[in-house]
Amino acid sequence: MRTCKEFCDCISDYLDGDMSEDLCRFLEDHLDRCPPCQLMYQSLATTVEVCSQSIPAEMPDDVRENLRRFLREHCGQDSCEPKKGV
Amino acid sequence: MPMYEDRETIERVLNGDYDAFEGLVEKYQARIYRHLKKMVKDGHLAQDLLQETFLSAYKGLPGFTGSSSFSTWLFRIATNTALMYLRKNRPDSVEYDDEIRNQSNSTLPPISSEFVNTPLEILLSNEGKRKIEEAIDELPALYRSVIVLRDVEGFSLEEVSKIMDSSIAAIKSRLHRARNSVRETLTSYYMERNLSSDRREA
Repeated sequence: MRTCKEFCDCISDYLDGDMSEDLCRFLEDHLDRCPPCQLMYQSLATTVEVCSQSIPAEMPDDVRENLRRFLREHCGQDSCEPKKGV
Repeated sequence: MPMYEDRETIERVLNGDYDAFEGLVEKYQARIYRHLKKMVKDGHLAQDLLQETFLSAYKGLPGFTGSSSFSTWLFRIATNTALMYLRKNRPDSVEYDDEIRNQSNSTLPPISSEFVNTPLEILLSNEGKRKIEEAIDELPALYRSVIVLRDVEGFSLEEVSKIMDSSIAAIKSRLHRARNSVRETLTSYYMERNLSSDRREA
């Protein structure tokens, strides 16, 4: 018999779709019957959802320009050239 | 297929086409910068590591075998570059100490309905996003990088394990812990926020 703690410990795997069919069925049955675990599932699912939308991939213009200049300066050197088959 | 597009571009770089390399930089720089900035929590330092990452990628491009996607390979270079810096300069910031880990594993984590009942537009408002970033920033670097790679960048568990050079079991364990830590921080924040709002209304 699994405890609520054991079920809660595998919710993250469940959200990743990384769980055996049997365990999935056990977990889903348990969630139907256990409001605290259902709440735990909802709060972890919400966490994953908001994390995925929280941090935009932005970079300041000066960082972009400095990177471009740095690479042009350093990648032009002969010792740095990528050589096919090296 | 993006992976094949990158292959063709890489071929061109290896044949001496520097503009093709700038195309790869343009394509990935903002995501790599975001990842590095989250790992080291400092914009200036992230800029230095960004430059180091792309220079290493340029030099190492002939060694790219294509056994993983180019983005996985590039994120691995970025992650190693950041972890090397952190291990040398801020070793305490990389992992949890055992005492904290044992405490957290012994009990069922706290839950409340305030967080899940808060509408998405509030959770994803500027204030809400700032709180999520703070919650992620509180994690040690190895955990922070796993949650960013999986939940922000959208890499699969297998790809994250390649990027971090760790087993999938270790990645799953860190991800579970990182997500729960962020969840606990957000739960406490929205409980407190609702309490304050109730007090104002009373």
